[in-house]
Amino acid sequence: MSLTPTATAPRGPAAAPSATPTAHSRRRKRRSTRAPWFFLAPAMVFFIAFMVIPIVYAIYLSFRGQRVESGGAFGRRVETFIGFENYVAALTDAEFLAGLGRALTYGAIAVPSVLGLALLFSLLLDTPRARFTAFSRTAIFIPYAVPGVIASLLWGFLYLPSTSPISSIARSLGQDSLDFFSYPVLYFSLANIALWSGVGFNMIIIYTSLRAIPTEIYEAARIDGASELQIALRIKVPLVAPALVLTSLFSVIGTLQLYSEPATLRPMTSTISSTWVPLMKIYQDAFMNDNLGAAAAASVVLALGILGFSLAVLTFFNRRTFGGRS
Amino acid sequence: MTAPRITSRTGPRSRRAVVGGLLGSALLVGALTGCSADWSEGGDVTLNFWTWSLKGGDERAEAIIDAYEKANPGVTIKLSEVGGTADTSSKLLAADRANEVPDVVQVEYRALPSLVVAGVVKDITEGVGPVKDAFADNIWDLTTLNGEVYGLPQDIGPMMLTYRADRFAELGVAVPTTWEEYATAAEQIRAADPTAYIASFAPTEFAFFASQAAQAGASWWESDGEEWTVGVDDDESIAVANYWQDLVDRDLVKVEPLLTPEWNAQVNDGKILSWAAASWAPSVIYAVAPDTAGAWQGAPLPQWSAGDPAVPFLGGSTYLIPEKSKHAEEATKFASWLAGSDEGAKLLLGLDLYPGATAGREATKSAAPPLLMPEQTDFYELTDQIISDSTIPLTWGPNVNVAQTALGDALQQAALDGTPFADAFATAQQAIIDDLAKSGYTVAK
Repeated sequence: MSLTPTATAPRGPAAAPSATPTAHSRRRKRRSTRAPWFFLAPAMVFFIAFMVIPIVYAIYLSFRGQRVESGGAFGRRVETFIGFENYVAALTDAEFLAGLGRALTYGAIAVPSVLGLALLFSLLLDTPRARFTAFSRTAIFIPYAVPGVIASLLWGFLYLPSTSPISSIARSLGQDSLDFFSYPVLYFSLANIALWSGVGFNMIIIYTSLRAIPTEIYEAARIDGASELQIALRIKVPLVAPALVLTSLFSVIGTLQLYSEPATLRPMTSTISSTWVPLMKIYQDAFMNDNLGAAAAASVVLALGILGFSLAVLTFFNRRTFGGRS
Repeated sequence: MTAPRITSRTGPRSRRAVVGGLLGSALLVGALTGCSADWSEGGDVTLNFWTWSLKGGDERAEAIIDAYEKANPGVTIKLSEVGGTADTSSKLLAADRANEVPDVVQVEYRALPSLVVAGVVKDITEGVGPVKDAFADNIWDLTTLNGEVYGLPQDIGPMMLTYRADRFAELGVAVPTTWEEYATAAEQIRAADPTAYIASFAPTEFAFFASQAAQAGASWWESDGEEWTVGVDDDESIAVANYWQDLVDRDLVKVEPLLTPEWNAQVNDGKILSWAAASWAPSVIYAVAPDTAGAWQGAPLPQWSAGDPAVPFLGGSTYLIPEKSKHAEEATKFASWLAGSDEGAKLLLGLDLYPGATAGREATKSAAPPLLMPEQTDFYELTDQIISDSTIPLTWGPNVNVAQTALGDALQQAALDGTPFADAFATAQQAIIDDLAKSGYTVAK
């Protein structure tokens, strides 16, 4: 009540909705149409230079291919327009689909375990009786700071029979060395790398969202006689559901973009082919087979698939979790 | 109480962000409009040399560069190691499209045709006439496609078997001279020491399978100048597939890629007892298992039919001049000197390479054996004999890169699933033909 006059006082004319509102607002509108563009300009320049142009170029490339026109057995390959040939090849490529299947199998193991552990750790850190939370949080987060390639190398050495301490213990107990690269163990070995490096990051997101929950709710629950476990399951988990949706979406997208772990482990084993996941196939086409067109087409297909999937997931959860309408 | 107070801070922060953004975009525009300047000054030439044999920081390599720069004032050689053949090829393709090419590039012979048809390699037939005589014909032919010369042979790979002489003796196994004896030796080794294998079977060793099939009489690529004939699934090649299938099925060889930490550990531990490859193998083994030096020896590659010593070369590399090099003339001169002159060839021998030029080959006769087998004083006499026996010409097609992955992946899968290796060879055959046809080459039916 007492705030209202002080807030409106300096705006004399605005407080009185009469006189000449049209002229005033028009002038203001003109000024406001230019200002956003000015502020947007830097972002737009970067967006166009590093997003729009590369995407347009990739789409352009996806319709091109290296073809021989003349010159016999060692005729030169020249870049030409080949229509939808690359798309037909990408969509009918059994290896591309098989790679997608392998990535999803990996994701089916990795995503629930990463998010489950991340949720568990963040709930534990958020309990009132937790000690050394700052240290634990950092300790769990640190592996995320290790680049994926290095993490894969580290784990690769832990998996290889001759260098693995686990296999060494198994051998000293009279067992055989464990083969971490055979099927289906390979999927778990790869998921384990994701688990090691991914839990910390997802934990931080969920934990941050947990800290944003007003503590009054917990107090109310405690007065009603709820135990810490009940508070965690009935209050915290539902309230961090948006964060969970977000982290799962990121994780699934990450799954479809799986590359560095299998690519790094590939030289160590003969169970990972050069086209093991979609991105490895795309890399192979682009840089080993000198077929940028096919790589671009496969990338466009993959990107559209991920985009469609993300939109579907977000639309679905927008209604259920975020309570919004779309 | 816990209400977010971010709003009060947006003012100054976003202003700073805008300034930063504007500055950033200004820099970006500058970067986009600024074109690459050519820094070469009048007369002085810098040759960018992509190689893995001459390593920057290695005294022996520096000495080679110094020798050339001293004899050719105004020329500076810049060494870059960009990876092995596969990496070098892909980077060269990218460099060519970006118009920022090096001047001399080392690749293995098998990568040359695919780079030539990509339009990346310069035809240097005109410039290399004088050095042609420095090479034996079977070596010079390695870089000639359709009568045009596209490279200067740096080093060659006479095929041989490098084996653990001490372990073979200990287990009472004779050195195999034929592939049949090799299978028997593999069996004896498994029987005498169940933890050891004669060798690893590496499904991705494309060049080895191609060479071994050629030794059996196959020809994976063949052309009359117009039409390609692909023979990855001809009878001789299928015989190679079946041969390894049998050894893998009986667990006489270990399915394991080469030079993995696992392979290195097994070699160090004396669990992998041989490597059928070429004369460059000793220096590779020495790099990963220096402690085993003295325990190894080299022998001629086992033969398909006893008494027929003919083999192709395996591996080895060439210097090519990129089509878009701005200093092609100087680059050709340098590459000719290094690969073809008496001085250059002898210096290459100092890098543990087997030089392609005849002068280098002569120099090996008075050279000490490789560090891995210091006691095998007749090592270079042996390799010299093998080079004379390397009479099987091997044609690499324009899509070796595609073939390599196709066969590697198919063989890996077959080894994993226990399906016939012959089918993997047939799969690769089809992939190679399809790719040739798709690119627009004529393929014989």
